[in-house]
Amino acid sequence: MKNHYLSRIKIPLVGFLLLLFTLSIQAQAQTRSISGVVVSEGDNEPIPGALVMIKGTQKGTVTDIDGSFTIEASVGEVLVVSFVGFTSQEVAVASGTNNIQVALPLSTSDLTEVVVVGYGSQLKREVTGAVQTVKSEELQDLPVSTIGQKLQGRLAGVQINQTTGKPGQGLTVRIRGQLSVTAGSDPLYVVDGFPITGNINTLNPDEIEDITVLKDAASTSLYGSRAANGVVLITTKRGKSGQTNVNLNVFTGWQKVPVRGRLEMMNAEEFAQFKKEYYEDAGQPVPDIFQNPSIYRGKNNDWYDAVLRTAPITSYNLTLTSNKDRLRTSVIAGVFDQKGVVVNTDYQRYSFRMNADYDVSDKVSVGVNLAPSYIYDNTPQTDGTRGTGILFNAIHTWPVMPIYDEAGELTYFNRFPSYTGNIFAYPNWVRSANELVNETDQVNLLTTSYVQYQPIKGLTLKSSFSTEIRDSKFFSFNPSTATSRINVSIPTVAQSVRDNISSLSWLNENLATYTRSFNDHNFEMLVGYTNQTYRMERTRIQADTYADDRLPTIQGAININRGGTFSDVGEWSLSSVLSRLTYNYKGKYLFTASLRADGSSRFGLDNRWGVFPSTSVGWVMSDEGFLVDNPTVSFAKVRASYGVTGNNNIGNFTQYALVNNTINAVFGNNVASGAAVTSLANTRLGWETTASFDAGLDLGLWDDRIQFVYDFYQKRTTNLLYSVQVPQESGFTNFNDNIGEIKFWGHEFSINAIPVVGAFTWNSSVNLSINRNEVVSLAEGIDRVYGNFHITQVGQPFGQFYGLIKLGNYMNAEDLANSPQVPGRSTVGSIKLKDVNGDGIISIGGDNDDRAIIGNPFPKFTYGFVQNFKYKNWDMSITGQGSYGNQLYMRHLYSTANLDGVFNMVRKATDRFRSPQDPGEGIFGTTVGGGNVTGIERDWANSNFVWDASYLTIKNVTVGYTVNKTNKFMKSARIYGSVQNLITWTPYWGGSNPEVSMQNNGAGDGGNLSPGVDLFGYPIPVTVTFGANINF
Amino acid sequence: MKKYIITLLTSGLLLTGCGEDFLEVVPETQLSSATFFKTQSDFEQAVNAAYVPLRTITNDRSWLLGEMHSDNTYYARNILFGATEQQEDIADFAVPEANGLTSNTHVLNQYRQDYLIISRTNQILALIDDVDFDAAAKANVKGQALFLRAYAYFELVRYFGSVPLHLTPVATREEAALPLATEEELFAQIISDLTAAVPLLPEKSQQELGRASAGAARMLLANVYINRKNWSEAESLLKAIVNSGEYGLIENYEDVFPGNAANKNNLESIFEVQFLEGAAGLNGSFIYNFMPRPISASELQPITGTSNPQNIDGEGNNIPTPDIIQAYEEGDLRKDVSIGYVELSGSFRDDKVYPYIKKHAKPHSLHGNHGTNWIIYRYAETLLFLAEALNEQGKTSEAAGYLNMVRNRADLDDTSASGQAELREAIFRERRVELAFENKRWFDIARTDRIQEIIVPYGQRIIANPLDYYYPPVAGAVPRSNAFTNLSKFYPLPAAESDLSPYF
Repeated sequence: MKNHYLSRIKIPLVGFLLLLFTLSIQAQAQTRSISGVVVSEGDNEPIPGALVMIKGTQKGTVTDIDGSFTIEASVGEVLVVSFVGFTSQEVAVASGTNNIQVALPLSTSDLTEVVVVGYGSQLKREVTGAVQTVKSEELQDLPVSTIGQKLQGRLAGVQINQTTGKPGQGLTVRIRGQLSVTAGSDPLYVVDGFPITGNINTLNPDEIEDITVLKDAASTSLYGSRAANGVVLITTKRGKSGQTNVNLNVFTGWQKVPVRGRLEMMNAEEFAQFKKEYYEDAGQPVPDIFQNPSIYRGKNNDWYDAVLRTAPITSYNLTLTSNKDRLRTSVIAGVFDQKGVVVNTDYQRYSFRMNADYDVSDKVSVGVNLAPSYIYDNTPQTDGTRGTGILFNAIHTWPVMPIYDEAGELTYFNRFPSYTGNIFAYPNWVRSANELVNETDQVNLLTTSYVQYQPIKGLTLKSSFSTEIRDSKFFSFNPSTATSRINVSIPTVAQSVRDNISSLSWLNENLATYTRSFNDHNFEMLVGYTNQTYRMERTRIQADTYADDRLPTIQGAININRGGTFSDVGEWSLSSVLSRLTYNYKGKYLFTASLRADGSSRFGLDNRWGVFPSTSVGWVMSDEGFLVDNPTVSFAKVRASYGVTGNNNIGNFTQYALVNNTINAVFGNNVASGAAVTSLANTRLGWETTASFDAGLDLGLWDDRIQFVYDFYQKRTTNLLYSVQVPQESGFTNFNDNIGEIKFWGHEFSINAIPVVGAFTWNSSVNLSINRNEVVSLAEGIDRVYGNFHITQVGQPFGQFYGLIKLGNYMNAEDLANSPQVPGRSTVGSIKLKDVNGDGIISIGGDNDDRAIIGNPFPKFTYGFVQNFKYKNWDMSITGQGSYGNQLYMRHLYSTANLDGVFNMVRKATDRFRSPQDPGEGIFGTTVGGGNVTGIERDWANSNFVWDASYLTIKNVTVGYTVNKTNKFMKSARIYGSVQNLITWTPYWGGSNPEVSMQNNGAGDGGNLSPGVDLFGYPIPVTVTFGANINF
Repeated sequence: MKKYIITLLTSGLLLTGCGEDFLEVVPETQLSSATFFKTQSDFEQAVNAAYVPLRTITNDRSWLLGEMHSDNTYYARNILFGATEQQEDIADFAVPEANGLTSNTHVLNQYRQDYLIISRTNQILALIDDVDFDAAAKANVKGQALFLRAYAYFELVRYFGSVPLHLTPVATREEAALPLATEEELFAQIISDLTAAVPLLPEKSQQELGRASAGAARMLLANVYINRKNWSEAESLLKAIVNSGEYGLIENYEDVFPGNAANKNNLESIFEVQFLEGAAGLNGSFIYNFMPRPISASELQPITGTSNPQNIDGEGNNIPTPDIIQAYEEGDLRKDVSIGYVELSGSFRDDKVYPYIKKHAKPHSLHGNHGTNWIIYRYAETLLFLAEALNEQGKTSEAAGYLNMVRNRADLDDTSASGQAELREAIFRERRVELAFENKRWFDIARTDRIQEIIVPYGQRIIANPLDYYYPPVAGAVPRSNAFTNLSKFYPLPAAESDLSPYF
């Protein structure tokens, strides 16, 4: 079987080599010198700086001050003349051509734009897939560290959530709602043609020229087994226009967590009042410290506020681009420094990029990209569940516990006598945040070098070699004087973790593209062969019990923790052949078909190769007679596509039965190494398959003043990687298999409009996306998978909140007597739940389960907008993003609304049930009866945790002023002020970030099956910056 | 020029290679089943791993299912903590049961850990005969594997009565579940495994300390026969142990129980689960599982002797009941060795002094981490089993002799019991105090069919006098309404396993 597949691979390879030889012999060139002038249509004014390129090559020139150019070209080649703001024109070189005039019509449309697609580029008007491009100019003012943050609000069908405010981290990008049970759902990022394996956030956003998001299978399927989650193509800046440009972009500013939107907790007085009432209601004596709550008036200890700060943010970017003597270069150097709004959190990035392309001859060009970067970040255990994360711990620390002692020094440790109900000891979180070290140093290097050769007209052969080298050093140190945990006495056991990961991925790509046009038939054929490998080596050392906190080196530790000390190797390889045919007739009837075959080391021995085909068609209706002169419709295209893609994020060695040889035994006082088979093999294991259909409409109205794009898609993901549970009487827990099916569908709308044009120009872009999914099947015999408060069930959307339905509280003895109860636990004032199965008692789990679906983490729709205004030299832009109809599971309530008075509580708990006469607002029940009663409310998943998390956030507002004065030192300058995350409107009250989701920060019961859980993460600050963008 | 270019392009292709080797990436940091089970060392490592679940079982589960599920120990209710039902249900004889299944997690985990032993020993037994290595070493590994498999099935058959019988390793998803085997079938397999194991295993003095020996296999088989009331078979096995000269009683009862590092696998020890203090995860923490709570660091320190005591919250489990405290006769030296007392300042009770299990609580260095072994079988039990086996066969006076050996060590006079029935009762009582907190009590009650006789009045005492059973005098802090409602001889099978099996 194996050999059969392999022999198939060799055919295109051998063919390709033969092709190279044949073509190189045939290659003959009749080049001639052509000169011309480029003018603007209508007024015939010359256009300086217009780009004249030979189609399908890197060869080109730029017009001089009189609009003139000279270029070497051969007969049959096509010149593409373009300039910003004008519609590009193509001129075929005929035998008689030597002096030509090209008139460019003014353009309000970007349909003549060239967009980057997988393994090539295409005229935007001829694209038949669902793609969307964002240019760097649109993103340059946003004072954020990551690309994902810059794209928020701009892309239809792409949901980008900032799940944590940690600098440099925490964006989730989901294209068309794609998700999986266990495999990764992040899109594939391709930087200058290189599918990278590491974190995209290490790339300096200022290096980016444009970003193209490929959404449907027709656009992505050339990326085969990695394409199912969508593909993001990133093109970095290259030298292009005729001049040498130097640009300096600087901004600096401050970040702060606004008080508005924070989770409202009780202050010291309210808390003391609560405790007083707690004991009174229980008929117990009130501890002395709570007898007079008013003594705490004005003496609140806001532990959450204490760990926050106003933090600076600064960025410098210097860009140099040049195009001279057949050498095109761009150099970008960046420094980014962001302090976090939680004390002692820090993120710095130093980055550098050099892209150089050189035309060795008319037929040969070579290029090198080199992009090193260094990143430092420090985040001392801010996020995490109760007990482990500083922020969560701080927010529910008793506000009567002093942050500062009488001398004004930070306290070390707070523990009240147990008769006050204080059962946990609390370290001082400010000290913890300041003293804990959790830092990562990363060095990254991306390189690409290529040779490109054009043996004959229309044929381009390109061979490239890329490497991605990453080295990351993580160091965390927990000195004996600090802890991020509750109930750890100080001094504690000092601990350290060192985790060094280095990885290398290389890619060799060999592509041949052949372009041919005759009689209005235009063809482009692509074939290619690529190999990529990845290898990661990791060494982790965990040590504890340090003699001296000042010496956190490994040899300073008394214990090396065997369980946390290990080395690991991760490795995969991927061999692929790919091909694509693009055809159009008169640029009007469009057709594309592509095919990729991927062989992957991750797939089982008996299932090693996957084939991923796609096809798409388009029809430019506006070129037809019946529309061509229509005054309203300036452009109209319908398109449809179908294709198959894969998701190979199934783990490197999932197919193997592994033997764990660290299951050690003890005999006497001697350790004896032990080994056992710990997993079952699956030689048929494969990729997840997604088959997608897309239909779209592109419409331009009134000379493209309004451009409208609509897409409908439907996808079916099958062969989901799933660790099927097996009965453990087998000695194993799981069998890794490809099972089940999920259906996705959705609609995307986007409108770009220029409502006002002139001295005052208003450019408006709005998008709206509707994404839906439904589980069609799971494994054989399994129709549902439970999480702690989720269910994924056949016939329902993925990851629905699941629990008991809260009806209210038992209002009085009569209500209690007449309602189903939790036997032995329900009392007057305790939570009243719905008896779903009607058996007269309330129970959770087991055969008498009363749980039901209680909420949906997925929005009904999401939307975004960008509004640009320009008046003379002033400009302003407003970017927003929103979501409607999604809910969050306010998981932290299990602690922040613990009715036993163990922790500080949400302010809403002041208005809880106290008696039939004083039933409160109904959200929280009685405190009487202790854990036996109150435990139901907090420990049993129920609808009281589920809250509407629709939101609208103004992500950014920027106001800028451009100075056009050219002088000796500079050509132009723009100064601007920018506010990031200006304001959020949401009914969600559980914290300031409705985009939060535990699914993505890995805390607690995370995983793909548990979306939309709020465990109180790092807050997202408002950032105010001022910047200048100067061209020299 | 062209030539160079072509050379470059083609070399680029050749450089990256193609085909089978390129796509063959095997895990480097873990062994896989294809390369394992080839050498003597592989099988020795495999049998070592088969001992490992015993650590989890004895540290976390057996005392819940075997001791707290009896009149010897109870929990000390701490109203500040929820999520304590799993343990309370076991102590309260209130294990939830529907259609013969339970959701109790301790029952589930006990079941799963036993099958982990079974699957690991099955791997060994299925493959060992196909690999050629030293015959003595092979016999030893095989004997240990058979002993451990029998031990796991003996636990299962006593806890559940009827469970699936896996005797070969599972290789595919389809083989993962098997039908339930009857109690008879399970016992037949256990007896067959142990009968085979005895001649394969060396005696204790010839075996590495801590591993199963011929004596341990005889003791386990004798226990099986006693459960089956096959007294004569039990007698001959037990006599073989007595006559082997490998074992004896340690004079001072306190010294019977192994320390943190010293006194392990001592003269009296027949089989014990081995722990090792340290950060390698080979340690136990059961001493802490048996502490009344909330206990402060300063209250805990005198008991554990650690340099870094920490507060422990939650609800204390396996707390000696007033019943076991009263069960010791006047002057019994074992009482003060077995039970200690500690005052908890954080208690809600008026009397803040709680008893705790002292016999295992040996000092160690770091909080929550000790190397104290857990005894499964020791010679005193051999003598008591022998007394029982003889008495049941009517050899009353010979039986009394063995019983008195155990009594005399505790500074008690010879038994005053006369006649088979009285002596039976005396042996039963002696087992309770001699083997208190060694997870024998529930099995003794169950195998002698005395559940109704013992547990029902015990439950009534708790419900009538909750304050005597460590409930705090707080409104609502009383035994739950479901207490003492499930007095089955067997635990229900775990529901989580039933969900995955078509057979139950």
